[in-house]
Amino acid sequence: MNFMRKFSILFMTVAVLFCSACDFDSKADSEFFAMDTIMSITAYGSNSQSAVSAAENEINRLDKLLSVQNENSEIFKLNRDKSINASADTVTLLKRAMNFYTLTDGAFDITTEPLTRAWGFYSGLEKRVPSQNEIDNALKTVGAEHINIDNKNITLDENTSLDLGGIAKGYASAKTAQIFKENGVSSALISLGGNVRVVGSKPDGSDWSVAITDPDDNSKQVGTLAVRDTAVVTSGSYQRYFEENGHIYHHIIDTETGYPAQSGLKSVTVVSEDDTLADALSTGLFVMGLEKSSKLYSKNSALFGAVFVTDKNEIYITDNLENRFSSQHKFEVIER
Amino acid sequence: MKTRTWIIILSSAVIVCAVLWMFILNSSSPSKIVGIYQDGSLVEKIDLNSVTDEREITLNGKFGKNIIFISHGHIEMKSAECPDKICVKHGALEIGGTPIVCLPNKVVIQFEETPYGADAKTGAAE
Ligand SMILES: [Zn+2]
Repeated sequence: MNFMRKFSILFMTVAVLFCSACDFDSKADSEFFAMDTIMSITAYGSNSQSAVSAAENEINRLDKLLSVQNENSEIFKLNRDKSINASADTVTLLKRAMNFYTLTDGAFDITTEPLTRAWGFYSGLEKRVPSQNEIDNALKTVGAEHINIDNKNITLDENTSLDLGGIAKGYASAKTAQIFKENGVSSALISLGGNVRVVGSKPDGSDWSVAITDPDDNSKQVGTLAVRDTAVVTSGSYQRYFEENGHIYHHIIDTETGYPAQSGLKSVTVVSEDDTLADALSTGLFVMGLEKSSKLYSKNSALFGAVFVTDKNEIYITDNLENRFSSQHKFEVIER
Repeated sequence: MKTRTWIIILSSAVIVCAVLWMFILNSSSPSKIVGIYQDGSLVEKIDLNSVTDEREITLNGKFGKNIIFISHGHIEMKSAECPDKICVKHGALEIGGTPIVCLPNKVVIQFEETPYGADAKTGAAE
């Protein structure tokens, strides 16, 4: 009897040890293709498997809704017909895009589709420098004033077309993080084509470590950020570009000039709890350059933090990231 | 009888702990284990350090063949029938570098651990 009691205590202790080890290791991951890139999702904890499946479904649903290239998407139909009765997701996202357009003084713009097309930055097109005439014509169609939102009715001016490539992944990442929270997942890592989002802390309770790619060498890093519950998004001229007559032309188009942005930056990384804002601002700040971005930061330091790499390879970080950023390189701090 | 039972129980507990411990240690040590994925599912896992003979793996995708070349400590996309050839131009898979990706044929070659000492890297995959 005594033996049985001791045995059962020991058995339960071993079982508990076993289960805690199992639970710690309980991990679900998925890697799949959507939004013209690779999505990689890892979640930890008991509910992780169903949460990952739900997230994958949600991302694929949003891809079908927001893709510029998918003929059945709302955005494709809007670009073709210049008028649609849009779903709640599309309306929400377009409204946010308009807000970011205002916030960045037009640097973040979703009406760049005709310009991006002229430069050939869509799959199936040849990348090339367009004629000045083509650029001038495309520039006439650019700007948020060409979008009209009236409840669910969205209309575009003639020849205006939208591309949500600079914001859709951020929106999908926010939705994914939300699904994880609803499913009780307190530890997860999401990378939507290099847009990183961390949920909670690492399974052992420590901060997630997110490295920022060195614009000059993909295998190196500019530094790392120790973060939890936040999105980390980088826009860089190194991500997509082509060379013509010895010049390098990248994919982040400045709607002032119609040419790839020449703002003195190689990359901008935005850190924010708001995934959609992080995605949009990484492009917006890249176009704005260091000086204008610093001014925007001083008024909005509660919204986001940022890491800049300039053409001269100088690194600047905003002062709200001082305790989070570490690097082997020298860096300057932008005071708010 | 009682003592013997205790010895058996305790030693099996020790063995269980040791196995778990080794499993945890093993999974967190840096390695050169590479995963080859097609359309999200694992095709093959290879420890590049234990490769002795050179070999090739051929995958068939929507846009034709991808031929992967493997030798000791080395893996690359040798050739591909995809339209953009970005996967071939990537060159060998480097520690800390970006994965080799063929978007048209949905092939990914990557390290199973993140050897750059961080959990994730931004802006890398585009
Ligand atoms: Zn390829």
